[in-house]
Amino acid sequence: MASPLYNALFRRNFQMLGVVFVSAFAFEMTYDVGMNKVWDNINKGRQWKDIRQKYAEAEE
Amino acid sequence: MAPLTIASRALARGVARPTCSLNAARALSTSAQLQDAGYSSPFKGESKTTKIPDFSHYFNKGGSANTNLLFSYFMVGTMGAITAAGAKSTVQEFLKNMSASADVLAMAKVEVDLQAIPEGKNVIIKWRGKPVFIRHRTQEEIDRANKVNVASLRDPQADEDRVQKPEWLVMLGVCTHLGCVPIGEAGDYGGWFCPCHGSHYDISGRIMKGPAPLNLEIPAYDFPEEDKLIIG
Amino acid sequence: MLARSCLRSTRILNGARNGATALTKRPISSYSSGASSESPMKLNMTAAASTALAIGSVAWYYHLYGSTAQAMTPAEEGLHPTKYPWVHEHWLKTFDHQALRRGFQVYREVCAACHSLSRIPYRSLVGTILTVDEAKAMAEENEYDSEPNDEGEIEQRPGKLSDYLPSPYKNDEAARAANQGALPPDLSLIVKGRHGGCDYIFSLLTGYPEEPPAGAQVGAGLNFNPYFPGTGIAMARVLYNDLVEYEDETPATTSQMAKDVVEFLNWAAEPEMDDRKRMGMKVLAVTTVLFALSVWVKRYKWASVKSRKIAYDPPKASNRVRD
Repeated sequence: MASPLYNALFRRNFQMLGVVFVSAFAFEMTYDVGMNKVWDNINKGRQWKDIRQKYAEAEE
Repeated sequence: MAPLTIASRALARGVARPTCSLNAARALSTSAQLQDAGYSSPFKGESKTTKIPDFSHYFNKGGSANTNLLFSYFMVGTMGAITAAGAKSTVQEFLKNMSASADVLAMAKVEVDLQAIPEGKNVIIKWRGKPVFIRHRTQEEIDRANKVNVASLRDPQADEDRVQKPEWLVMLGVCTHLGCVPIGEAGDYGGWFCPCHGSHYDISGRIMKGPAPLNLEIPAYDFPEEDKLIIG
Repeated sequence: MLARSCLRSTRILNGARNGATALTKRPISSYSSGASSESPMKLNMTAAASTALAIGSVAWYYHLYGSTAQAMTPAEEGLHPTKYPWVHEHWLKTFDHQALRRGFQVYREVCAACHSLSRIPYRSLVGTILTVDEAKAMAEENEYDSEPNDEGEIEQRPGKLSDYLPSPYKNDEAARAANQGALPPDLSLIVKGRHGGCDYIFSLLTGYPEEPPAGAQVGAGLNFNPYFPGTGIAMARVLYNDLVEYEDETPATTSQMAKDVVEFLNWAAEPEMDDRKRMGMKVLAVTTVLFALSVWVKRYKWASVKSRKIAYDPPKASNRVRD
C-alpha cells in the first residue's frame, strides 16, 4: 500500500512538518537565486554592476 | 389577498399529496440510482436544485489510492512550504525596518588620517557624540607603559591588550567615574587627568589614582591600510 | 355612547361621499355640452408645463453644480505633456544606470548652478552612479561645517560620503534674491511632485519655442513655455545641443540630455525603485503559485463535503410495533 516516497516524507505528522520546513528553507534560497537571475536577465546591461567595471578599472 | 394564497396553497398540497409516498421511497434508494431519469419533483417549475446531482466526476479516475495520497500530501505540503517561506521573508523585512537606517550607519564610522598626527601628540575627534582620544605615543612612553606592574593596578590590564599598534593609543575620552572628559598630558602619571573628581590615568589610559573604578574604554577600531584609522 | 357616535360619524361620512359624487357629477354635466375636446388640451398643457419645469430645474441644477469647476483657464493649466515610452517605467525594468550617470553629469554641470538636490547624500550615489573613489573625490571638493571645536568655533572640513549634495544657495531667501524673486525648486522629489512626472519635466525642458507665439503675454523676466502652468516660467531654456560632453561619447543633443536628466531625477525621487520592482516580481510570482495551490487545496478539502448525500430512511412498520 505505502510507497517508499510516502513512507519517507509524509508517514507521520512531525515528519511531514519537518519536510515542509526544510523544503521551505531550500525553496527560499533557490527561489531568491533563480529570480535574481531572471531579473538580471531582463535588465541586462542596465544595472550598475553591468557597467561598473568600466569605471572601476579606469581608476586603478 | 388571503383567500388567493389559501387557495393556491391548497392547490399545491393537492398536487403534492398523491406523489408523496412514492417520493420518500425514491429518496431512500437514491444512492443506487443516481442517473434515475424517472424521478420528478412534485413542485411546479422543476429546477436544477431539486434534482439529485451527479457526483460521478468526483470519483477517482484511474491511479491507485496511494498515488492520490502522495499527490494530495505533496500539494498541501508545497502550499505550506511556500507560505512558510513567504511569511518568513515578510517578518524579516519588517524586522529589517527596525535596524539602523542607512544615514545612521553612514555616520557610525569615522575615518582618521594618521599622517596628520605627529609623534607625542593627542587628537580628540567626535565619534557617535563621544570624544575619542588618539595618541601617537613615543617609544619612551611605550616603554613607560610596559614597565608598570600590572598586578598592582586597580583594573589589571597589560598595555599590549589595550592597543593594536603600540604607537597608536585609541580610547573613548569618557572618565569611567562619572563621565567627564579627562584632560590630556596631565596628572601625576603623565597620562590623563579628570578635573571633576581627580582621577589620574597613565599613558596607557589605565586608572592609577582617584575614584574611577575602571580603565578608559577602548572602542572598536581598525587600521585598513597604513596611516589610516577607522573607528567603529 | 361611543357606538352611537361611531354610527353618526359613518353616517356623516356617507353623506359626504354622496355629496362628493353629486359634486363631481355636476361639472361633468355642465361641460358635457361642448368642452370634451378642451379637457385633453388642458391635460397636454399641464403635462408639457410640468415636463418643462422638470427639465428646466434639472438644467438649472446642472448649471449650478453639475459641470466640473475649472479654477484655471487652459493657459493657466498648461499644455498637457506628451506621453513618452520611458523604459524605466515598465513593470520589470530597472533604471538604465548608464543614463543615470549621464543624467548626474548634466545635473552637476547644468542644473546644480541654481537647483539643489538636498536629499541625496554622496553615499547613495555609490553603487548606483559612481564608484566609491569617485564619490569620495567629489565629496571632498565641497566644504561642510564641522562639529564645534574646543573654542566653540565651527570650522570647515572637506565633505565625506555621509554628507548630502551641497545646495547652490544658503537658503530660500538667497535663492530668490539671486533669481529675481523666483525660487528654483529642490529637485530631490520633483518627479513625484509634479503632475505628469517624467513626461512633464522632459516636455518642459525641451518645450521652449524659439520665440513666444503671437499674442502670448509674457511677463517681464519670464520665458514662454506652453507646458508650464501659466506659460510664463522664470527659468530660461538651458539645454542646448553639445552643452555637456558625455564621457561615454553619447551625442549630447538637447533631448538626449533632457531624457538623461529626467531619468536621473526620477532615480533621485525613487532610489528604491530597482529593489522595489525586483521584490514585486518575486512576490507576485510566488503569490500566483500560492493562489493556484490554495484553490486546489480548497477543492480537495471540500470534495468530501460537497459529494455527501443525506437520505431519509423512514422507520419500517415492524419497528413501530416494537416501539
